Amino acid sequence: MSAPLMEVRGLSKAFGKVVTARNIDLAFQAGELTSIIGPNGAGKSTFINMMSGSLAVDAGAILFLGRDVTRLPIHERVGLGLCRSFQVVNVFPGLTVFENVEIPVLVAAKRATRFFAPRAREAQAHEAVREVLERVGLAARAEVKASELSHGDQRLLEVAVALAARPKLLFLDEPTAGMNPVERVEILKHIRRLNQEGGTTFIIVEHDMDIVFSLSDRVVVLHRGDVICDGPPAHVQCDPQVRECYLGEEVA
Amino acid sequence: MQNRQAYLAAAALLVGLALLGLWGERFLLYLAMRVMILAIFALGFDLLFGRTGLLSFGHGAFYAGGAYGTALCYLHLSKDPLLCLLAGLLLATALALIVGFFCVRHTEIYFAMLTLAFGMMIFSLVWNLREITGGDDGLVGISRQAINLGLAKLPLRKEGQFYFLVLSCFGLVLYAVHRIRSSPFGLILAGIRENHLRAEFAGANIKNYRLAAFVISGFLAGLAGGLGVLLESNAAPFAAHWSHSSEPVLVSLIGGLNTLAGPLVGSFVFIVLKEVVMRVTPYWMLWFGVVLLVILLGFRGGVVGTLAQALGRGAKEARS
Repeated sequence: MSAPLMEVRGLSKAFGKVVTARNIDLAFQAGELTSIIGPNGAGKSTFINMMSGSLAVDAGAILFLGRDVTRLPIHERVGLGLCRSFQVVNVFPGLTVFENVEIPVLVAAKRATRFFAPRAREAQAHEAVREVLERVGLAARAEVKASELSHGDQRLLEVAVALAARPKLLFLDEPTAGMNPVERVEILKHIRRLNQEGGTTFIIVEHDMDIVFSLSDRVVVLHRGDVICDGPPAHVQCDPQVRECYLGEEVA
Repeated sequence: MQNRQAYLAAAALLVGLALLGLWGERFLLYLAMRVMILAIFALGFDLLFGRTGLLSFGHGAFYAGGAYGTALCYLHLSKDPLLCLLAGLLLATALALIVGFFCVRHTEIYFAMLTLAFGMMIFSLVWNLREITGGDDGLVGISRQAINLGLAKLPLRKEGQFYFLVLSCFGLVLYAVHRIRSSPFGLILAGIRENHLRAEFAGANIKNYRLAAFVISGFLAGLAGGLGVLLESNAAPFAAHWSHSSEPVLVSLIGGLNTLAGPLVGSFVFIVLKEVVMRVTPYWMLWFGVVLLVILLGFRGGVVGTLAQALGRGAKEARS
């Protein structure tokens, strides 16, 4: 087996007496679409925040591409290829769709610090922006202000902004939150396809279980800061512990 | 198309100002210079406020840095006006770098209060270091010597001569700020204003970008301060006071945020209005405040924003 894309060793985090991560060991392989699920308060958001650099860990190490990134600031992690999206829509509302994607493209191409050259001449970057917009299907709306897009399209745009930084690993925090069922199917298809196209491995953090079983290669279940189950969807679905702590509450 | 119109408007403005410099009478030139100097101050300020979304209440300190740097160089080192301006720019930029380093770690109200605190610290230094700054008297007796070009000398003593130095600086700053606004760097600044978290996750080290915007605006405040000293022939401590720091804030709001024309229109309205109101009534501060209120409440998005909206609506109606 090749070296994992990302590896977490002995990760722990507590807020006062509430433990949100207890000695977690996990490894993620490139190309393997993984979902992290768990009931409310399981520690999903804390996990994603620690991975992306928004939150410091109490103990443990995070290795990305074999490199220790535990104490690296956010922008440096992004520079290495580790990025995330957010639960609430998080785009640049006052800028156009094109400009939204242009920002991470320029930063990734190390051209963002050019302060006296016209942006209009960044042909290579603009080509890359159009390519990303094509991939997520927003090319036709490039000149629309982000705040004027529908909710579903704003979520797509967010994925586009995250993809534009050319991440190797992309965490999606509840990508279907607040979506109607049609939009939901749509965006999941996109994610599945983007993951297969290669280059970027997706890890989805979800509350809703139906979504992830149809989509993922692997499911990790968190419960009160512990990994209680980890494996292919079929295996996780049958696990008695998972049924008890998670499915149980829905069945009952 | 829109770009070409903007270039034409800018060219027309500069040519008009040049013609004014050739034929205008002294007081008119003096007023025009004050408008241009305030516009330089406000153009830099709007890069930070309108573009990056950081409201500073301490930029008077950098204006004063430029002013005192220029005046001190004149009194102690060299009387060459360009050298003095350079000294002012160095001092202002150094101050902006130090103050900015601490301030850009915070945003919104914390940023505003920190800049206010630093600004007042610098004011109290200027006020109390009598031996260096002249205290409440300021530094006086700075006259405009000729610029030495080796072969020829460019005199600046008369208003009509100095005017063209101010106009050149104004033109250069207008062009430079335009270039910055339309550069990749300018887009990142807008991104930081719109959503700094997202900008961070786009891979940008936002503290560095904020600091860069802060230092550029401090540099331009220093240029305005240096030119102000050469215009008024003295450096006054109240340049560093928070009441002076509020001027570019008001100018930005009057003219409109995050446009190139906003600071120009705002500066013009601010100076002319003050001059007119002062003549009519001894309670000029009161009436000036009333008129400002009317403008700020009546023209949401500033004069330029309101006009652009009205024009846009007109154009849409004409098309439909």
